[in-house]
Amino acid sequence: MRRSRCVLSLVLIGMLYQGCAFIRGNYGEELGQGDITTIQKGISTRADVAAVLGAPDRIVEANGREIFHYYHYDIKSGSILVFSRTNIKSDDTFVIFDGTGIVEEVVAGKRKGPLEFQFWPFDWPFR
Amino acid sequence: MLRTALSWVMLVLAVTSWDGCSQGPVTVRRVTLNQTISADDVAFIVPGRTDLSAVVERLGTPNEMLASKEGVVTRYYFADGKYFKANYAWGLRFLMPFFTPDVDLGGGGIGRDVLQVTYDDHWFVRDHAFSFHANSSEFVVWPFKD
Repeated sequence: MRRSRCVLSLVLIGMLYQGCAFIRGNYGEELGQGDITTIQKGISTRADVAAVLGAPDRIVEANGREIFHYYHYDIKSGSILVFSRTNIKSDDTFVIFDGTGIVEEVVAGKRKGPLEFQFWPFDWPFR
Repeated sequence: MLRTALSWVMLVLAVTSWDGCSQGPVTVRRVTLNQTISADDVAFIVPGRTDLSAVVERLGTPNEMLASKEGVVTRYYFADGKYFKANYAWGLRFLMPFFTPDVDLGGGGIGRDVLQVTYDDHWFVRDHAFSFHANSSEFVVWPFKD
């Protein structure tokens, strides 16, 4: 009797126990710094950039210039008990071409602060 | 008798404390996109002197580059979303295990803030501006306020 009650309790706890989760995801490929340094301002062409970084996710035209836009998002999510927090960080890369199709500028740099796993949703203490 | 009651109390405590991630009596969630950029963070920008490289070095790459009549506009997005939900009938599952209605009350909001920097043809900053929507991000405990 006692044993069956114990088993029943464990089953009940097991059914309601849903654990906690830490999840990592990303959108778009993170471009290696080595790949970016092979692009030379004033020398590399559209074709060179496409050969190194691949086709861009978006092409923007601005002031007679063409801009290749490469997306990258990193996501970290943590859940413990009733608390959940998801942090998303973007690290995009832009390559700007002049009117003749030669690289004028490469815009790549990390947003400030590392992306962290967090579960506490409040700014300390509660806000 | 006392032992049985204690067992049930222990069981209930165990269940409530182990309830898990999202289906408990209370849910508190937060989603943030990028670190907040404050006015202090952009104090180094001097229109006409600071160029694109200097801005990227301090603030990182923007999320978007757009064309405008006066030059190129870069936009940095950062957002904060907050959500709260309480199931006020959650405890009924111990009285009515086969049919437990949910009475969920709560709410939240998300605000996307933007820093916009405009550059001239030579990639020097022409001007910059913030767009703040942070007030739309809050945990809502009682959705019938107004």
